[in-house]
Amino acid sequence: MKIGVQSQDVLSTQDAHGQAQRELEPPQLEHGVLMGTGTAPSHHGELLQGVFEDDGRLRRALVTLPCPLFASNATVRLSRWEPELTVTPSWKTKALAAARTTLEMLGMGAYGGELELRSDVAVGRGLGSSTSDVTSAILAVLAAVGRNLAPERIARIAVAAEAATDPLIYFDRMLLFAHREGAVVEDFQRPVPPLAVLGFSSTEREVDTLALPRARYNAWEIECFRALRGLMRRAVARGDHRELGRISTASARINQRFLPVPRFDRLLEIAEESEALGVQVAHSGSVAALLFAPQEPELEQRTALAARRLAELRITDHWRYSVGSETHVPYAHQS
Amino acid sequence: MSRTHTSRRAFTSVVDGHVLPKVIQVGPNVYGAAFHLMKLLPAQFILTSAIETGELAQGTTVVETTSGTFGLGLAMVCRLKGIPLVLVGDPAIEPALRRRLEALGARVSIVSGPELRTRGVQQARLDRVARIQARLGSYYTPGQYDNPLNPVSYGAVAELLLESMGTFDALVCPVGSGGSSSGIGSFLRALNPQLKLIGVDTPGSVLFGAPAGPRQLRGLGNGLVPPVLEHTLFDEIHWLDAGTAFTATRRLHAEHALYMGPTSGAAHHVASWYAEQHPELRVMALFPDEGHRYTNTVHNDGWLRRNGFLTPPPSAPRTLDHPVQVAGSWSRYAWQRRTRDEIVALTEGATA
Repeated sequence: MKIGVQSQDVLSTQDAHGQAQRELEPPQLEHGVLMGTGTAPSHHGELLQGVFEDDGRLRRALVTLPCPLFASNATVRLSRWEPELTVTPSWKTKALAAARTTLEMLGMGAYGGELELRSDVAVGRGLGSSTSDVTSAILAVLAAVGRNLAPERIARIAVAAEAATDPLIYFDRMLLFAHREGAVVEDFQRPVPPLAVLGFSSTEREVDTLALPRARYNAWEIECFRALRGLMRRAVARGDHRELGRISTASARINQRFLPVPRFDRLLEIAEESEALGVQVAHSGSVAALLFAPQEPELEQRTALAARRLAELRITDHWRYSVGSETHVPYAHQS
Repeated sequence: MSRTHTSRRAFTSVVDGHVLPKVIQVGPNVYGAAFHLMKLLPAQFILTSAIETGELAQGTTVVETTSGTFGLGLAMVCRLKGIPLVLVGDPAIEPALRRRLEALGARVSIVSGPELRTRGVQQARLDRVARIQARLGSYYTPGQYDNPLNPVSYGAVAELLLESMGTFDALVCPVGSGGSSSGIGSFLRALNPQLKLIGVDTPGSVLFGAPAGPRQLRGLGNGLVPPVLEHTLFDEIHWLDAGTAFTATRRLHAEHALYMGPTSGAAHHVASWYAEQHPELRVMALFPDEGHRYTNTVHNDGWLRRNGFLTPPPSAPRTLDHPVQVAGSWSRYAWQRRTRDEIVALTEGATA
């Protein structure tokens, strides 16, 4: 499964930038029908979210916890002779807008056709359902027309379509990403360190991400984000999942003032008892997770203990996956 | 606002260049965060924030009562930003520091004899500040002891320490205003709740409940309890007298070639002892300023001898049951993250 744009492609796109893209004509086919597919994964909320200084200016930004469990798959059929671009299901208007913008950006605004999205990313939980639709739609259009765009430009199309976007297009590295601007604040250059994730819904409530008021951080919190960012640089550079767990817990704790996770203190106790690395939350959604060190013999016992304790809080719907490696362990209920 | 990236680049000013410390290993499990002048950080942060909020506008004069390094930090920032500055000090201000402040364009106002006799030095300084404020049309007072932005200004230090060291086990801070210890301590705790925060105070200082008295070591301890000092962050407090701090400062230079001021020596002394007691832990100490201001005093054997500071320090502290017992060259107390009121309330039990 190819997700997003790999960094090698990014470089060649940047080399070719500008004149190459202006000179290229849209492919002329006899019957004028272009087909393409695109896939973008979900994420699991944020390891870190707050405001961060960028050259003297404060910007809202986040570091995403990837989640390959769910994905959005887009298929697009484009034709010069179709008057309009439509989307199925019809309420996925943000993905439609992103596909249109992509075509316009490529000088193919006259093309119409059909965009179809199939997604198993749950809505309203902070899993990035909207961004995965938008990103897969953009990738499908690019695949259909045989073109490539730098991830920066894809992120900008996405943010224009949905007001706040996640950096799903940069699947191969961790970023501090300004989600309301679609811009990279800091590139940590490396993928997420290996983590075993025990995910769950912290509440049954759906959260409308965009309807949430923007967090108004106080001066201490704003400066504390510097500390979290400093440790993040080290944790990513060294692949240190222990430090990553500390960052995630600290960020979740700060977010309690803005979108409180019910029984958060109890979650911290469960994390301690089950020797988790930390607690992770979707800062504008309802999913949360306990993070564990993978590849340790005690992993099974630890996650089983955590699952039992969560069940005592009537949190029985969990899922389990690994990031930072190719292994994907489906979660089995354990008594 | 201090810049986050410390990559190689030209600094925009001497403040920008000197505002963050260097982390230097000074023992198998001891590190020092060595500042050129630590108080530059709160001075720059508080004034920049005040400019951003509009409290400090064009033509406004900055007025602060200080005879120490916070005044020097303010003077450097104000000079570079073109802001008029009045500093109210007491007659004990070092002549060299006063010359430096004035060379940076600050007006230094010294409270004098009659005021001091009738009202005491702290009150005399506050009265003088009030008089100056009344004369000025528009003024801004940074207030390092009351301003919550003082501790908050140290976020960039926590960032640097964590990026270079990861989370570590213990932080040893000399305490004066409580700004750096409460700020850095609180940021590090957010990531590592087990962090031990160890404060270094001096006999005669009332910061942690020891009996009030004269202090020979400036820059350490305080005659008042500043609101910015967050007592509940501290696990352990040490009281070092001037002689012990001075000897430790000389040793920091002689053994590690780190030429620092006396509060750095005090922090290093406690950190080294703590690190020896806990060889499995990584210990960080704050070194707040360099030694150049003390060339003719702490770093001069003749001066030390004349003032009776050439006694060798004890190799271990005396452990106290209560801070009211603070006396002698080196004592320690298990504060255990309690409030000052809680500790003071124990006095009755301790003295009865």
